[in-house]
Amino acid sequence: MGANIYKNKKPLFLFLLPAFIFMTVFLYYPFFKNILDSFMQIKQLGRSGEILNEPWYSNYAKLLTDANVRTALKNTVIMTIVTIVGQVGIALVLALMVDNIRHGAKVFRTMFFFPIVVSATALGLLFNLIFLYDTGMLNQLLSALGRKELIDWKSEKWALFTMMLPVMWQYVGFYFVIIVTGLNNISEELYEAAAIDGATKLKRIWYLTLPLLHNVLCTCVVLAVTGALKVFDLPWTMFPKGMPLKSTFLTGTYMYYQTMIVKDVDYGSALAVMIVILGVVLSRVVNAIFKEKDY
Amino acid sequence: MKMKKVIATVLSCAMVFSLAACGSGDSGSTGSTGSAATTATETAETQKADTGDEKQPEEAPAGGVELEVITTFAGNDGNAQNYKKFYQQWEAETGNKVVDMSATSDDTFKVRIVTDFETGSEPDVLFFFNGADANSFIEAGKVVSIEDIRAEYPDYASNMSDGRIPASLVDNKAYAVPVNGIWEAMFVNMEVLDAAGVAKPGADYTWEQFEADCQKIKDAGYTPIAAALGDIPHYWWEFAIFNHTTPENHLTIPESASDEIGQGWVAAMEDIKALYEAGYFPDNTLSAKDDETFAMFVDGKAAFLIDGSWKVNGIVSACQSDPDDASTLDAEKLSKFDVTYVPAKDSRKTTDLLGGLTMGYYITKKAWDDPAKRQAAVDFVSFMTSDDVVPVFAQHAASALKNAPEVDESVFNELQIKSLEMMAGCTSITGVVQDLFQGESRVPTFDGMPEIVTGKVSAVDAVQEGLDIYYSTN
Repeated sequence: MGANIYKNKKPLFLFLLPAFIFMTVFLYYPFFKNILDSFMQIKQLGRSGEILNEPWYSNYAKLLTDANVRTALKNTVIMTIVTIVGQVGIALVLALMVDNIRHGAKVFRTMFFFPIVVSATALGLLFNLIFLYDTGMLNQLLSALGRKELIDWKSEKWALFTMMLPVMWQYVGFYFVIIVTGLNNISEELYEAAAIDGATKLKRIWYLTLPLLHNVLCTCVVLAVTGALKVFDLPWTMFPKGMPLKSTFLTGTYMYYQTMIVKDVDYGSALAVMIVILGVVLSRVVNAIFKEKDY
Repeated sequence: MKMKKVIATVLSCAMVFSLAACGSGDSGSTGSTGSAATTATETAETQKADTGDEKQPEEAPAGGVELEVITTFAGNDGNAQNYKKFYQQWEAETGNKVVDMSATSDDTFKVRIVTDFETGSEPDVLFFFNGADANSFIEAGKVVSIEDIRAEYPDYASNMSDGRIPASLVDNKAYAVPVNGIWEAMFVNMEVLDAAGVAKPGADYTWEQFEADCQKIKDAGYTPIAAALGDIPHYWWEFAIFNHTTPENHLTIPESASDEIGQGWVAAMEDIKALYEAGYFPDNTLSAKDDETFAMFVDGKAAFLIDGSWKVNGIVSACQSDPDDASTLDAEKLSKFDVTYVPAKDSRKTTDLLGGLTMGYYITKKAWDDPAKRQAAVDFVSFMTSDDVVPVFAQHAASALKNAPEVDESVFNELQIKSLEMMAGCTSITGVVQDLFQGESRVPTFDGMPEIVTGKVSAVDAVQEGLDIYYSTN
C-alpha cells in the first residue's frame, strides 16, 4: 500500500513542466526558427526574416564555395585531433605518472585541474600577453636568451599553434582527473598478481591499465571531440575575425564573425545549422568508433 | 497514502505558485503597475487630445518622473564622469530620476539598441549615432523629429545652429540633438621624430614628404606608422580615400570601381598597399590588435597614429601612472605627443579633416506619447544640450551651438591645447563615408585589407566586391 504513491506519475509531469517550457522557449523554438532564418533575408540583427532568399537555398550554396568555411572546417578537424592527442593523451601520461608516486598526488591533481576553473576569456587575455609581439613574455624570454629577432607568434606561420596550445593546456586537467579516478578503480590486487608473474611496469600498463581504462578513455575522447566543436571564447579572444588573413577561423568563430561583425545574419544561421549537423555526425561517428565495452 | 497525496499536491501547487509569483514579481514590482497606470493615463490623455481638451505640455507634473536614458558616456569614455555629474545635477534640480543604462559604444551596443527598438523595450531618451545605424528605428517611426518636437516646444534645441544638426539618411529630417563633435587627425610622437631627425608635419604636409619621413624613421630603427591593418584599418581606409576625393564628393559612394570616385577608392587601397610593402607599418600589423600598435606609439616605438579626437584622452591616460587619476599625469611624457593634419595627396588640402557631429540625443516615440514623460524627456535633452553643458563635453572638438562660449584653456592639458590649435587651422570637416558604406559592404576592404596589401586580392576586385554587396543590399 505504501508503495502505491509511486504508481501515480501525474505530479511528476507538473514538476517537469517548467523545465520543458523553459527548454521549448529558449532552446527548441530558437533552434527551429534559426533553421527557417537560414533561408530568409535578414537585414539586421534583431530583425526577423521577412522574405525568402533568392534562391531560397542560396546560403547553403554559399557554404560550399566559401573559402573561409573550408578553413574553418579544416581548423576544427585539426582542433579535434589536437584535443584527442594533446588533451586526452597528455592527461593519460600525467595520470599514469601521478598514479605511480606515493606522495603529493593530491597536489598534482589540484594543480592540473586548476586551469579549468579560470574563464576561457581570461585565459585568452593571459596568453595574449604571453605571445605579444613587442613586449610579450615569450619574446622577452627569447631576447634574454640571446635571440635578436622577435617572433610574431600570431603570424600565419605560428597562429594555429598559438591558438591551440592554450586550449589544449586548459582542458588537460579535466581529463587528468577523470583518468585518475578511473585508475583508482583498478584493483591493486591485479597489479600485485602481475608483479608476482614478473610483469614489468610498462607491461602492467600495456596489458592491465590501458585495457581496464578503455571505457574511461572512450568517455574522454567523446567529450574531447564534442568539446572541440564548441571551442569559441579563447580563440576569439586571441584571434578575432580569424586574424591573421582569416587563417584561424573555427566553425564557431566563423559563425560569430558572419553574424556579429559582417552582420550577414541569415548566412550566420546557415553556418549554425552546419555546425549542428557536423556535431551530430561527428559525435555519432566517435560513439561508433569508441564504443564502451562490458566487462 | 492519502496524506502523502495531499502533501504531493500541496508541494506541486506551492512550486507552481512560487514560480508564478517570481514571474509577476520581476515584471510587476514597478514595471507592470507602472505601465498599467501609464496606459490608463495614456488612454485618458489620448481621449482628451481627441476632443481638443489636451493639457499643455508645460502643465505636466513636475518631478517624480523616472526617465530611462541610454548613452555611450560609459566605461573609458572621456565624458563618462561629465555625463554622470550633469544628469545628477538635472535630477537634483527637477526631482526627476534618470535610470542610466549607458554602455560603451561598440558593435554589441549598436545591436542592443536596434534590438531594443525591435522588441519595444527602447529607452525614453537615447544618445546614439545619427548615420545609417539609426535608419531602422527612424524608418519604424520610433523616434520623434526635432521639427515635431518644436511644434509643441518651440525652444527645443533652439540654441543649436540648425544647419549643423545632421539630418537622417532616411527622410532628411533632423532627429538627434548633437553635443560634441569628433575629428580624426594624425597624432605624432615627437620623441621618435626627433630621434629620426624629422620635423613635425605642418599644414602643407604632402604625401611625398610623408613617405620620405617614413623612410627616415624606418632607417632610424623605429616603426613609422602605428596601425593594425588586420584589426582596425578604418582610419587609413577613410583618409586614403579622402586623398582621392574632395570634401564635396567624399560622401558619394561610387557606382563601380571603374568610375571616377571608384578609381579613387582603388587608388586609395593601392596607397596603403605601397606603405605596407615599403615596411612602414609594424612588422605584425596583420596579426596585431589596435591596442598593441597604440602601445607601440605611446611607448616611443612608432611615430604616427591616425585616430579620432577621443584618443586624446587615451594618450593622456597612458601618460598617467593611474589611468583613472588625472593628478598622476606625467606632464613631461605628455609633452612629447602632438597632433597634426594627415598628409594630403591629389585634390585634398592637408587641413581638410574628417569628423562631424555623428551622435546626438533622440527622444523616443514611447516617451513622447507618455504625457508623464514627454515634458521630462524634453527638459532632460534641453538641459544636456544647453550652452553651459555642451562646451564641457565638446572640449577641443566642434559643437553645433550658435553661441559657442570662449574656451577656457586653463582647464585643458597640453595635448588638448595642441588639439585646439590644430582645429583652429582646419579648413573643412567632412563626414566619414564608412558610416554610409556599412555592414557586409565594408568587409572586402576592411577585413579584407590584409589580403589587399599582401596582394592576395587586387584592390580593384576588393572595391568592386564591396560595391556589388552595397548595391545588392541597399
